[in-house]
Amino acid sequence: MEAFLGNLALGFGVALTLNNIFLCFVGCMVGTLIGVLPGVGPIATIAMLLPITFGLDPTGALIMLAGIYYGAQYGGSTTAILVNIPGEATSVVTTLDGHQMARQGRAGVALGIAAMSSFFAGTVATLFIAALGKPLTKLAQLFGPAEYFSLMIMGLVFAVVLARGSILKAICMIFLGLVLATVGTDLETGQERMTLGIQDLSDGVDFAVLAMGIFGFAEIVRNLENPETRDVVRAAIGRLWPTKADFRASYFPILRGTLTGASLGILPGNGAVLGPFASYTMEKKLSKDPSRFGRGAIEGVAGPEAANNAGAQTAFIPLLTLGIPPNAVMALMVGAMTIHGIIPGPQVMTKNPELFWGMVASMWLGNLMLVIINLPLIGLWVKLLQVPYRLMFPAIMIFCCIGIYSINNSTSDVMFTAFFGVVGYTLLKFGFEPAPMLLGFVLGKLMEEKLRQALILSRGSFSTFVERPVSGVLLAVAMIMLLIALLPSIRKGRDEVFTE
Amino acid sequence: MTGQVSSEAQKAPGLIKSTQEFGAGLFLIAVACFFLWQALELPRGSLRAMGPGMLPQSLAVMLAAGGIGLVLTSIFTKGPALERWSLRGPFFIFGGIVLFSLLIRTCGLAVAGPVSMIFGTMASPEFRWKESVIFSIILTSVCVLIFKVLLRLPIPVIGTMLEPFVPF
Repeated sequence: MEAFLGNLALGFGVALTLNNIFLCFVGCMVGTLIGVLPGVGPIATIAMLLPITFGLDPTGALIMLAGIYYGAQYGGSTTAILVNIPGEATSVVTTLDGHQMARQGRAGVALGIAAMSSFFAGTVATLFIAALGKPLTKLAQLFGPAEYFSLMIMGLVFAVVLARGSILKAICMIFLGLVLATVGTDLETGQERMTLGIQDLSDGVDFAVLAMGIFGFAEIVRNLENPETRDVVRAAIGRLWPTKADFRASYFPILRGTLTGASLGILPGNGAVLGPFASYTMEKKLSKDPSRFGRGAIEGVAGPEAANNAGAQTAFIPLLTLGIPPNAVMALMVGAMTIHGIIPGPQVMTKNPELFWGMVASMWLGNLMLVIINLPLIGLWVKLLQVPYRLMFPAIMIFCCIGIYSINNSTSDVMFTAFFGVVGYTLLKFGFEPAPMLLGFVLGKLMEEKLRQALILSRGSFSTFVERPVSGVLLAVAMIMLLIALLPSIRKGRDEVFTE
Repeated sequence: MTGQVSSEAQKAPGLIKSTQEFGAGLFLIAVACFFLWQALELPRGSLRAMGPGMLPQSLAVMLAAGGIGLVLTSIFTKGPALERWSLRGPFFIFGGIVLFSLLIRTCGLAVAGPVSMIFGTMASPEFRWKESVIFSIILTSVCVLIFKVLLRLPIPVIGTMLEPFVPF
């Protein structure tokens, strides 16, 4: 307990310097500004804003990035409530009741409760990370290559199970991501693989380039294709502070949402996506009058928003303790950390305690900042959302171009982004969901490394993955999840959750 | 992406019940063949000491198998039809990005910004020349202010080709 408080104190000592508070503030601000734009989710936002952190010291840069991340998350919820367009998968649920509330003239209350439940969830999740970080790092020391490999397999299976639509298609996307990850110089032999002789590919495909092409540019093209049906709330925003009755209705949903989201967020394979769905379903089941849901029930905003934010934050745990990014956003964080010379993993906590705990503390600070910044600025976001898309998309396009160019000062990166934009558009047209592909790509290199190491240790025998107990259990869990997802009855349930 | 079966699919006789799945499968098979062709020259090694070619080759084979699986499903189960592909959006958006990458070093952001944005805005059916030109110039100035003046990113505002003509 003492160590726990000591660590937090150390963290707050780092985060609460004037300089770092300012960076966190700027991060939250620009993160929200970009994240509010319809069709720009956290992934595109972070990829776009990465270069602005390059000039900073590592701790400051990570604090600012964390701010951008939370800003982007919250910006997504704002768009979901005000315009009924979810910025990304996790805010889909918020559109259901949040937008209905906005139409009834209660947009202010919806945004207010979203901010407050996010803040509460963020506070709990910060404590969660602080408490769990150390023990999990110890666990990581027990992990050999075989265990790492099996854990990542489990993560990928999880991503398949969570993907929308056909399971076969999601599996194909994982394979595509894994193949793309093998492009570039082979780590052990130094031989160039599938680079087509292109110099810029010898380091492999840059993750930010891939993500920006698929989530930034392909999305613009898709939005242009569907004629605009943005219905920005015309009704008054109304009061921001929820009434006593609102609070009473929200206490328990927030509490339950936080716990659900925080525990799901730890799972590798983007468990955080599941949080808001689980919370919404749970609140609906527990409600005395389920018919209110979908018509502006405040529990339908409070619970999922808490789950969303808690999950967004605990998703840092696998990254910081095991060095495994559980989703695309965390993979971008890895990229940012590597640029500053930090290799994420258990050693960060021991070698660089100021950085680690400073970042944990700044997560909390970021959440507080969001409440302070956003509530007074809602009017501004509403104005921004009324800008027609034909003016918005060139702005998004040029920001993306400048962002990608600035990461490596490379023109070919911009060219590759356009190429992956075409690939992303093609995939969308064929009904593939790109999220599993990105996760496959993210984990690909590490998986290959661990697979090769494990097979060297076992002298080429695959049985090592089953015989080692921890690895065997992880693989068994993965198999069971896959089988369950394939069962017809569960599949129906899964489709219902996603179509709701 | 919507689960609707368009009239086109209902007209299509017999064999293929979902043109979207069918196309998706063919696309994956093509991609897999490309990777396989590229990876075949790499030494495979053995399981005990994997070579650089082992994983790409096996992944490409698995990808192809997935593609074949999709083609088979498209024959046996009903599914969505292929959506209409638009050319205008992708052409102008991706073209605009390519223009940006070609112009940024040589002419700098001052030229690359407006040119790529004006080209890009043509993607929208509501395109208007005047609005597009004015807007792109304003936005470029904002970008110069944010990225160059405030954030000091090393992005060239005036490119190498234009430098001799600029007096300051």
